[in-house]
Amino acid sequence: MSRRIRSADGERAASPPIPLRFGEDAVLWAAWLYYKEGLTQNEIAREMQISRPTVNAYLADARESGIVEISIAGDRMRSLSIAHQLSHHFGLDDCLVMPGASGERSLIDRLGDAGAQALVWHLRPGAGVGIGWGRTMLALANALPDDLDLADMRVVQATGGTTARIPYTPEACATRLAERLQARCIPISAPAILSSAQSRDLLLQEPVIAEQMAELGRLDIALFGASSLRQNSTVHSSGFFDNSLQRHQAYGSAVAALVGRFIDAHGEPLDGPLEPRTIGISLPDLKKVPTRILVAGGFDKVSAILATLRGGYATVLVTDAETAAGILNAEGIEPAPNRSQRRMASQGLDLSRAGKDVGTVKKFLNAPRDAVRESLEGALAAFPGHLRMLEGSVHSLAASRGTQDGKVGLVIGGGAGHEPCFLGYVGRGLADAVAVGNVFSAPPPDRILRCTRAANGGAGVLYIYGNYTGDVMNFDMAAEMASAEGIEVRTVLTTDDVASSPASDRDGRRGTAGNVFVFKIAGAACERRLPLAECERLARKANAACHTMGIALDPCSMPETRRPSFALPSGDIEIGVGIHGERGVERDGMMSADGMVDIVMDRLMEDSALKGGDTVAMLVNSLGATPTMELMILARRAAQRLAARDVKLHLSWVGHYCTSLDMTGASLSLLKLDQELTDLLEHSCDGFALRMP
Amino acid sequence: MIDSRFMAAWLRQAAEEIEVARDELCALDGEVGDGDHGISMADGLAAAAAAAGDGDLDRPVAETMRLAASAFLQNVGATVGPLYASAFLNAGTRLQSHPDVPTLLGAIAEGIAARGKARPGDRTMIDAWQPAWQAALNASEAGDDVVAQARAAYRAAEAGVEETKSTIATRGRAVRLGSRSLGYADPGAQSAALMIRALVSVVEEWA
Repeated sequence: MSRRIRSADGERAASPPIPLRFGEDAVLWAAWLYYKEGLTQNEIAREMQISRPTVNAYLADARESGIVEISIAGDRMRSLSIAHQLSHHFGLDDCLVMPGASGERSLIDRLGDAGAQALVWHLRPGAGVGIGWGRTMLALANALPDDLDLADMRVVQATGGTTARIPYTPEACATRLAERLQARCIPISAPAILSSAQSRDLLLQEPVIAEQMAELGRLDIALFGASSLRQNSTVHSSGFFDNSLQRHQAYGSAVAALVGRFIDAHGEPLDGPLEPRTIGISLPDLKKVPTRILVAGGFDKVSAILATLRGGYATVLVTDAETAAGILNAEGIEPAPNRSQRRMASQGLDLSRAGKDVGTVKKFLNAPRDAVRESLEGALAAFPGHLRMLEGSVHSLAASRGTQDGKVGLVIGGGAGHEPCFLGYVGRGLADAVAVGNVFSAPPPDRILRCTRAANGGAGVLYIYGNYTGDVMNFDMAAEMASAEGIEVRTVLTTDDVASSPASDRDGRRGTAGNVFVFKIAGAACERRLPLAECERLARKANAACHTMGIALDPCSMPETRRPSFALPSGDIEIGVGIHGERGVERDGMMSADGMVDIVMDRLMEDSALKGGDTVAMLVNSLGATPTMELMILARRAAQRLAARDVKLHLSWVGHYCTSLDMTGASLSLLKLDQELTDLLEHSCDGFALRMP
Repeated sequence: MIDSRFMAAWLRQAAEEIEVARDELCALDGEVGDGDHGISMADGLAAAAAAAGDGDLDRPVAETMRLAASAFLQNVGATVGPLYASAFLNAGTRLQSHPDVPTLLGAIAEGIAARGKARPGDRTMIDAWQPAWQAALNASEAGDDVVAQARAAYRAAEAGVEETKSTIATRGRAVRLGSRSLGYADPGAQSAALMIRALVSVVEEWA
């Protein structure tokens, strides 16, 4: 049965036998009793018949040796650590960081909840609370319980009012908060921004307004948000400020607006033409309020929050984990690591070393700068039945069968480094010509124009390429030149990468491996001699039906540098990578192949709104270095997931279709099919990288 | 004072400075983008410098900058190709009537902004060109000489590069990274600052 073990102090010699399932491991037994059965250390001491300090030592041992990993609610732990770092760095009294996104509640609502929590924590009877304006402020007021039952509360509107057509005006926020707190509401009976300094000064002399303003000098708590002054932020559309004035030179360095006042990146107040015309709490007065709660979150607010914290305007910060990590990053502080990184660090691995000084990557190269040209010369030599060079430029290639009269010409292209994309998809039933740029760089307009002329059979030309700033600029310039030559050009951007932007911003997504499906379908439409508008419609339809997501296990390296393009510690993976060797959108610890497929398939199936009875085509694509064997392991799990939802897998492509040089990683694409798309997908084609009978 | 010879000298100097920083810019771009920025800038400027320095340097500065723009664009494409091509074309036109440093910097900033539709604070090369222009303009209005104007521009550009570390991209490829771009300078702003540093040395030499 069980044997007894000797502990260092000999205590265990007289103790009861350790239950069989713990082997000889008293530490494991103690850890089990403490963490799983929830016994106190005293109870464990009795059960194991050892002293309480020994229990304590066993538990410490269990954590040290890794028997116990504190991973439960890791999200919350991380939020706590980040909150602690922020408090410490900016000298805050308190910081509340909400764990990552959960469920359907919007960020604003979650910030409102957390802000309400923070307020309740600081509220005392008789308190004067000043409140700013904005969506978060209104959400905060709405989130407050209405049974707080605190006596003699005052709520003061922190700025004058506005006639802007927004539901979250200063008046609305103050009124709502006062209702919830059953407090007396003290509005500011004047506009926030006056037409001139004189009228402001006159108004401030009015006894009623002077009295109201005096309340702002007796606040115990100030609640406010930070408005980002970035291009798309709501402050511009809210109508609170006069936009033309806001663009005044004095505000050129403004990064945030607090209670209607502008500050620069260091938190310094900016003295512009609006300043003498503004009614509301001044920034120096704001700083005199003992408790100042800033509630703000979201990527676009990082600079604004940072400026507010640097200026010392807040004593309490309420934000979300992503934003908080962003703020720390911006200050050059490494946010609290996730679990896998901590484990690695404790094993003594140097994280900073990984991916940096690992020496150069070996590649088949002559002069690195000739890599693209030589690879294209090689393609021409290897596939003379598919490709021909245009006007002596290897960077402009066309189908060797020549221009097809009366057919819409399909021109594709992009940077090199994605081979067999894009040149492998030139040929019958596919693209007519391809423009190739430098590695990961858009081709210049003259190369695209050359392709356009070669593809033009008199029925117009369709451009299809991935949605990247550089490609858009160069292709647009080429389209303008082509149109000046009388060639009609239509453009379809591929936007299949779900990781690069939320579904609500589909047009902001980048194009990745799924573009092969779009080329195939558009190529078939052109081959069938459909008119330009129809080819364009079908290409858009295919793109809309196509979703891709990629995971990298190791970065790629450019021919010129032969160094990894970013640092990726050996135990980590990048989720949501594109096809340019760039970093993904988030990092996670290494996990099983099935686990990674599940992350990707969850996203893809959600974004494609797949349901039982649907039909899809699937592309399991290597990003370069990942072998086909592993791709098939991924395909296996992906097929299981589709079968479990009763989705029919019409066709699968597995292999190197759209790569990112030598990146280790893979992407999965799903194309949701209907009869029209299926017919085009089945249409015969002949490119060197894609042939269908 | 800014003529074809000056512009050819500046582009040559800028090409040299960027060539030295080629790998460093690529590494920076690798962290926030696709790692090609150093290559595109070095190759593009080398081509632009060669085109600007070739032929009859008594020609109008607009003609020289047209050649430089076209050479840059045809050699690299990428994102920087159209942006600097627009910048150089605009600079050539504007320098014809106002051949001074603030006009040069302003025309570049405007040309880039018009093509790329970026604004200050978007974490792009504009965040170096725009403050540099403003600083040169202020120095010129204060009556400072051309060397002081260029030096003020460079200081402002450096500060602008520093600022990009705490801003999140809204344009360009780093936009996909969200808050993960924080803590890194924008490579485009960094290379712009190097070009302005080259301008300082050329101005010092010519003054």
